[in-house]
Amino acid sequence: MMDWLRRHLPFVLPSTTIFLFCFAAPVAYFFVMSFWQIKSYRLSTDPTAHNYIEVWTDYFSSLWYTFAVASVIGLAVTTVAFGFAYFIRFKAGRWGTPLLFVALLTLFGGYLTKIYVWKTILGQSGVLNTALQAIGAIDEPITAFLYNPLAVVITLGHYTLPLAILPIYGALRSVEDVPLRGARDLGARPWRVFKEIVLPQCQAGILFSFTLTFLFAAGDYVTPLLVGGPYTSMMGVIIQHQFGLRFNAPLGAAMAFTVIAVCMIIIGALGLALRQSLKVRA
Amino acid sequence: MKTSDLLWRIFAAACCLFMVSPLVILILFCFSDKAVISFPIEGLTTAWWAELFSRREFWKSLGNSAIVAGTVGAATTLFGTMAAFSLARMHPRAAGVTMALLTLPVMLPPLVLGLTLLSFFSGLEIRLGLQTVILAHLVFTQPFVILVVHARMSRFDFAVVNSARDLGASPLRAFTSVTLPLIRPTIIGAAMIAMALSLDDFIVTFFTIGGGNTLPTFLWGMLRKGANPQINIVGFLLMSLTICASLIAFRVTRYRG
Repeated sequence: MMDWLRRHLPFVLPSTTIFLFCFAAPVAYFFVMSFWQIKSYRLSTDPTAHNYIEVWTDYFSSLWYTFAVASVIGLAVTTVAFGFAYFIRFKAGRWGTPLLFVALLTLFGGYLTKIYVWKTILGQSGVLNTALQAIGAIDEPITAFLYNPLAVVITLGHYTLPLAILPIYGALRSVEDVPLRGARDLGARPWRVFKEIVLPQCQAGILFSFTLTFLFAAGDYVTPLLVGGPYTSMMGVIIQHQFGLRFNAPLGAAMAFTVIAVCMIIIGALGLALRQSLKVRA
Repeated sequence: MKTSDLLWRIFAAACCLFMVSPLVILILFCFSDKAVISFPIEGLTTAWWAELFSRREFWKSLGNSAIVAGTVGAATTLFGTMAAFSLARMHPRAAGVTMALLTLPVMLPPLVLGLTLLSFFSGLEIRLGLQTVILAHLVFTQPFVILVVHARMSRFDFAVVNSARDLGASPLRAFTSVTLPLIRPTIIGAAMIAMALSLDDFIVTFFTIGGGNTLPTFLWGMLRKGANPQINIVGFLLMSLTICASLIAFRVTRYRG
């Protein structure tokens, strides 16, 4: 053990220090803080589960709404990403590389820029409306594009789609052609080949993509703030308010841990369900 | 052509259009001479660029972004590569556990990471500023460096290093003249990804910077003040920098999905 430590510790020390000081300790402190309470503008550090009870009672509808929106984004984006990756791997031929390049091009970066561009595209005097008016398709601008849940889904979908394509494409790329051809030669229908050979081999990639998009959507606050409008009270916005206007950091911490815990449960359940449904019958 | 093939192509084309069109629109409106962002574009101008470049806050936040991205890029690449080296020589199970731990910060939504750090730093009464932003960026960029370099090290042939050592090279000499040249593209790629992530980060920076601005928080300030064509240009610059960095990364590491 000592020998092992002497060999590895100097190398992992810097990254472990960063991990402990900037992640483990702050998260632990945040967790402890979630059991504190603000009583008549004063902080009480006597541990209580009051904040968690308040999250489930007073903010239940926002919690529900957040996970509904995040699930819609997660499912829609993962499905489209799978279709696009499937097309690149099996149908696109020599167009595969340029298509993959499109996904890579929009992968990293431009978080704030992308949200802002969607705001200007969907706005009342925005790109979409003025373009439709210019070609004479509509007379009056359509106000229904922006400030609603659909705008949140489109904007976050646009940001997460490339992130979701790559893990699925990576999984599909290692699916070999020979077993597929073999199954087809033995008379398997296309759907059966897909369900029993292709899908089981990329379920980890699918689950990973869903996890990425779902977590991102459930934890985001800038998108609902900029394009979501007044009725889209997603948890991210409410959490952030506790640290600003509301000045109730302990409640905000309890909200954050609740969101993360529910995310873990949903992703875990989905992983189990996926594995069960794709189990090949012996 | 079969109908199903046609449908597939329409689907793929629609996906590409969805992914690329916002970027095209952004570039277009960097040069439109109307102050509002709408069609039809009547004329082209570079006036917004001149106006933006004459603002002192713009250059200040660009400078801050360069300091943060540069420091984070160098430090995180060094720390992450060291960790990946050690992981590659560990027992697979120990390596797996260490790796899972060190990459955990990526799973935390940026909002939660930013708020935990804000609470922690203010609890310890650490002054917020570029130094806290750098610390915060290190924690979410180092997992990417570790993953990328570790993936390369697990395919690394340690026999070449061992033969260099057998022929009398010191550990340092073996590293600089054998190992480093072999994995240099991977390290450059990892550094580029880390810098792209650092440069583009808004949420974590917003909560850990205190006063002052980096390019994304400067953009945020402009967004809060309402429509202004200069916003397009800052957004465009930010996006081009991150896209350039990630394209270099994919190129040097020969990434193919």
